[in-house]
Amino acid sequence: MLEVKNLMVFYENAIAVNNISMTVTEGKITGVFGANSAGKSTLMRTISGIILDQKKKQEMKGGERITVLGSITFAGEDIIHMKPSDRARKGIILCPERRRIFAESSVMENLKIGGILATRSQAKKTLDYVFTVFPALKELKKREGGFLSGGEQQMLAIGRALMAQPKLLLLDEPLLGLSPLMEQMLVKAMHGINKQTGITTIIAEQYARPILPIVHYGYVLENGGAVVEGTSRELMKNPDVKSAYFGL
Amino acid sequence: MTTNTPIAAKEERQERLDRGIKVRTEGLYALTSWREMSYLLAPRALLIFGLLFLPLLMDPYWQRVVCVAAVYALLALSFDFLAEYVGLVCLGGAFFIGCGGYISGLLNHHLGWSPFITIPIATIAGAMVSTLILLPCLRLRGVYFAIVSFMFPMLTVNIIVALNVFGGTEGISALATLPNIWFDQYIVIAVLIIALFVMRRLVNEDIGLIFRSIKDNDQAVRASGISITLYKIKAVFIAALMGCFGGAYMSHQYGWVGISLFAMDFSILPIAATVMGGGGTLVGPVLGALLLTPLSEALRGFGQLRVVLYCLILMGFIVYKPEGMMNYLQRKYHQFEHWRKV
Repeated sequence: MLEVKNLMVFYENAIAVNNISMTVTEGKITGVFGANSAGKSTLMRTISGIILDQKKKQEMKGGERITVLGSITFAGEDIIHMKPSDRARKGIILCPERRRIFAESSVMENLKIGGILATRSQAKKTLDYVFTVFPALKELKKREGGFLSGGEQQMLAIGRALMAQPKLLLLDEPLLGLSPLMEQMLVKAMHGINKQTGITTIIAEQYARPILPIVHYGYVLENGGAVVEGTSRELMKNPDVKSAYFGL
Repeated sequence: MTTNTPIAAKEERQERLDRGIKVRTEGLYALTSWREMSYLLAPRALLIFGLLFLPLLMDPYWQRVVCVAAVYALLALSFDFLAEYVGLVCLGGAFFIGCGGYISGLLNHHLGWSPFITIPIATIAGAMVSTLILLPCLRLRGVYFAIVSFMFPMLTVNIIVALNVFGGTEGISALATLPNIWFDQYIVIAVLIIALFVMRRLVNEDIGLIFRSIKDNDQAVRASGISITLYKIKAVFIAALMGCFGGAYMSHQYGWVGISLFAMDFSILPIAATVMGGGGTLVGPVLGALLLTPLSEALRGFGQLRVVLYCLILMGFIVYKPEGMMNYLQRKYHQFEHWRKV
């Protein structure tokens, strides 16, 4: 489904993603794990194309230069130079780090904005689906995004991403700053979404322990490079991964 | 694998590095050789001597333009300081000029004090008055502060006209003028150079650090137990000092004060100069003003069309080079680029 080959991303002279190659199988959940500054978010931004937008902004400001090298193939097409909006139309939807909810729009409006690419009937169907996965959102329809709790915001962000009819869903740090209970609930929801709809998902998360059981294949990043990869079971057995990321 | 070959061929990126001499001259090492010292001093010397020699190269008409350009440069400096270092986009340049000008003019007219006394007094008193009047709006940020500060000059003009105080629409004429054109030019150029270097120092001192953090995140500054209003007052006062000096100086240069001191040009041109010169560099806006003012003078024949020209320049810079002239030049001076294989 998605092939990333020899991907390198530089922020000025600092390397953020170092020669990463990864394959994402259709219909499965792929995990990307790593500590802060490992390059997870940059990887997600590069796959979704947001990095090109950042690059343009930095160029205009005369700020740091962002260089992206390598290839990303999505459904047989090289998309490394494709604009983020076009990638979204192709079905690569990013659920960004720190959620980026539209704070002054209500829950319903947020979901509608997400569904702008969908047809009317798709949007209606997905909306119902989002409310079955996250029943909590149903009661908060009218609430402004900025007044939601962290967990509710995360649910909304995932819901908004779903509304865009993703073929490839990128979840960047979905568990950021959430309570263990909320974590469990979200992990279950993400697993459920993948199983019921078959949407290919990539989850980037530094807190690997709750995510690892649901991923099919995982990559562990360190300082921009992929150091370990394997199926969920292989990763859980790997002693280095164990000590470094699970504290076992 | 076939897709990989064309990409591998262009797998190069442009690397941008600080010049060795820049890194060395950041510390005490700068004092070890003439080359290093001149690297540091050359741009500064170029600016100072360029400004000092400027009047010598001009005929009497253009010498007047130099004076006005220097006043605009002061305004641009104060605008850049407030906008880029404190986060207050202040369109009240005309208000500063007007305050300084009227105070100095009134003192000279009614009390007969010499310009050498009225200009310093007007500078400080004008800054105090401007700060006091802007005080209630200091809690505003961004575009709201811009709107409010933009309205003060118009407000004052209308008060002066409506109440017919301070000479009404005719203004106050026959004020004492400065001794001669050379003195005119050098006093304002000297003040400009001093103000520029003082500001550059100031923004890197502790107080400048607080200003910049107020721009970045005022809640965090408050949480550190610092009153942001106090510091905004200080910042506006500093900026107003420069504007009010410009006004007081202009009133004595022309020997006249009137409501045209509150003209919109004084509020607008500094923005154009800042965008053109490069916001946040302090020296950029000064150069921008020193270029734009003569340009508008040279285009005086076109009448109102020169405003169109400002707008075009402004738009051109915003669209194609938003970083501005100085940011670009500084980068070229301090850094070099080369292609590097990945």
